[in-house]
Amino acid sequence: MFKQTTAVTLLNLRSIPQRWGMSLATVLSIALVVGVLLGFMAMASGFRATLDGAGSDDVVIMLRGGAMTEMNSTVSRDEVRLLEAAPGIAASAGGDPLISSELYVVADGLRRASQTRANIALRGISPSGPQLRAQFALVDGRMFEPGAGELVVGQSVQREFDGFGLGETVRLGNNNWTVVGVFSTGGSVFDSEVWTDLGVVQNLYQRGSGVQTVRARLTSPEAITPLRDYVANEPRLNLEVLSERDYFARSAGGTTNLIMVLGWPLAIAMAIGALAGAWNAMYASVDARTRELATLRAIGFGGFPAFIAALAESFVLALVGGLAGVAATWLLFDGITASTLGSGFTQIVFSFAVTPDAALQGVVLAVIVGLLGGFVPALRAARIPLLAVHAS
Amino acid sequence: MNDATLIRKNLFRKRLRAILLVVSILIAFLIYGVLAAMQNAFSMGTVGAAQERLVTVNRINFTVALPYAYWDRVRQVDGVDIVAPASWFGGYFQEPQNFVQSFAVDPESYIAAYPELVFEADERANFLEGRTCAAVGRALANQYEWTVGERIPLMSNIWQRQDGTQAWELDICAIFDDADGTYPTNYLMLHYEYFNEGLSFGRDSFHWMTVVTEDASRNDQVSQAIDALFANSPAETSTTTEAAFNEAFMEQFGNIGLILTWVIGAAFATILMIVGTTMVMAVNERTREIAVLKTLGFTAPRIFRMVLGEALLLSFIGGLIGLGLAAGAATLASGAMAGVLPPFGLSLTNTLTAVAFMLALGLLTGVLPAWKAMQVRIADALGKI
Repeated sequence: MFKQTTAVTLLNLRSIPQRWGMSLATVLSIALVVGVLLGFMAMASGFRATLDGAGSDDVVIMLRGGAMTEMNSTVSRDEVRLLEAAPGIAASAGGDPLISSELYVVADGLRRASQTRANIALRGISPSGPQLRAQFALVDGRMFEPGAGELVVGQSVQREFDGFGLGETVRLGNNNWTVVGVFSTGGSVFDSEVWTDLGVVQNLYQRGSGVQTVRARLTSPEAITPLRDYVANEPRLNLEVLSERDYFARSAGGTTNLIMVLGWPLAIAMAIGALAGAWNAMYASVDARTRELATLRAIGFGGFPAFIAALAESFVLALVGGLAGVAATWLLFDGITASTLGSGFTQIVFSFAVTPDAALQGVVLAVIVGLLGGFVPALRAARIPLLAVHAS
Repeated sequence: MNDATLIRKNLFRKRLRAILLVVSILIAFLIYGVLAAMQNAFSMGTVGAAQERLVTVNRINFTVALPYAYWDRVRQVDGVDIVAPASWFGGYFQEPQNFVQSFAVDPESYIAAYPELVFEADERANFLEGRTCAAVGRALANQYEWTVGERIPLMSNIWQRQDGTQAWELDICAIFDDADGTYPTNYLMLHYEYFNEGLSFGRDSFHWMTVVTEDASRNDQVSQAIDALFANSPAETSTTTEAAFNEAFMEQFGNIGLILTWVIGAAFATILMIVGTTMVMAVNERTREIAVLKTLGFTAPRIFRMVLGEALLLSFIGGLIGLGLAAGAATLASGAMAGVLPPFGLSLTNTLTAVAFMLALGLLTGVLPAWKAMQVRIADALGKI
């Protein structure tokens, strides 16, 4: 039985080139299905990775209660003073609490690719701001001087937008700024921002002494509980305390869900189309070999090997299609950058990421299409009535 | 038996194969229909924008406010007919997830600037009268099942009231429609006065002005005059046509059109290959029959037409069913995404494009087999027994 099966299967696979038209159509259509699915998944996981990379467990972000995003939050100078004395916050080498008051405003930048204007985030930070971002590194130049109209720009901003070269003067809002440094936070969302001194932003944007958010490093991730208790029990504080990871997970949710909600049904609809194609191709393959299969049966081969052989052919075509789809998506999309509007109403630059997990799901989908598409034709191959065929 | 019957019989001689092909064509047109309908939703603001409407925002960015006094100053610019100021409200209903697109507007000027909004006469009067009144778009009202006369607390995720709360109590005084379906009705308007007097910060400012010019040909001149008025002030302005403003805003989400084009392209490439190869094969199988038809006196052009007709029939059966399903699916999807996107459906242009695609698909997949069928030589075909 095993020998028979192997023999018929090999016979089948070796004769694929004779039916190259249909076979190629099957392979390509499955490759396209996998390509579409992976394209969407790469977009979603790239976007998620950008936000996940930004969120750490031992950094908290404090916003006005009810404000869903930084943009809508306000924190007064008095509240910041109270927070500086709050429990659970780590201290720097010099003994000061590692806390950064931040003010985030939206400015216009010129997108390099499309030459259209898009929102970018200009963030005023306290001196300890950079220390609150994991993987922060100054790639080029120096930090801004407090009080000066100087900027450090994220790597993604420099890549996606025009005019942010080191030493260049940029006009944001009504003011001219000099770019004095370029920083990286390892591809996280902060790379899509432009930073300067908090005081300068407060001043130029007439925000008085108020800020929007306060970030602080905790002594440990567990220290968030005493900090929360402190904030809850202090009537002068009306703030929500979130770990940075939770904050970003919340803002990433909507967009990634939207992408996936669009991606999967599309891929499934296309898979049904490709299924019909694979089914057809396998029927053609079985039909073309009706005589051959009947002859095999006549000389003593069983129906089962014919069934397995047809299924194997379909499986191989689907697998090749799936792998081709993965390879093409990876070559075309992996690493390309795109940007979209984030929850803060500013552009978030992210790179498409074809993850191994997504690639696996794509190949599995391809194989499912192949097996389902091959099943009925394979049954038919197993049941070819000997006499009917040879009588004709 | 006429040619049409023959074509039909030929197509469905292998019923399962025909059904499979119809299914794959149907899917491609379903995908096309739903995506095209969604794209309509995204471009709605651009299509619905009136020629003589301009939008003035803060030059820094449209999220940065302008002083209240600008309203009066812009009204005095030569060539300006109506100026309607508005503010983002950032509303949500009960839960922060239930986002409600809402603006605080000056009702009189706003309604004048957007004549395509259709009101019941009495509701319109009530809305203009009542300080705490809100006018709700039909799509939004349907989503939350709000009716005229209801009182709702609308929370803001941007603003705070002097008493520390974030809720504005609103009476729903009017539900408005859109005259020709090109402008979204998924938002809510409240009185600027009522909104402004409750604010704990950011008072006496607004986020944008819709400026209606006396004539579209004066747009350039008017927008330059407005921006010149505030040049070198702390709040400089940027004035563009409404269409340009909406387009720039949608552009910020990324190139949605390009993504949709890629997906639709992939779907059609798939069926083109499947249907094309199957048709070639189907005709190959029939070589002998075709030779018989020729022997019976069928001319080569007639055979060409018949095979092409078969491909076209297949394409139209699958395409029309797919398009029908897409119209249904778009309605469902539109309902499900009522909060995110304005209501959408297939437009006439989409339908015509789809029919053109069906024709093209039928021709592309039919021409090669039809040509081969026409070339069949009786002696060769019948001789190769």
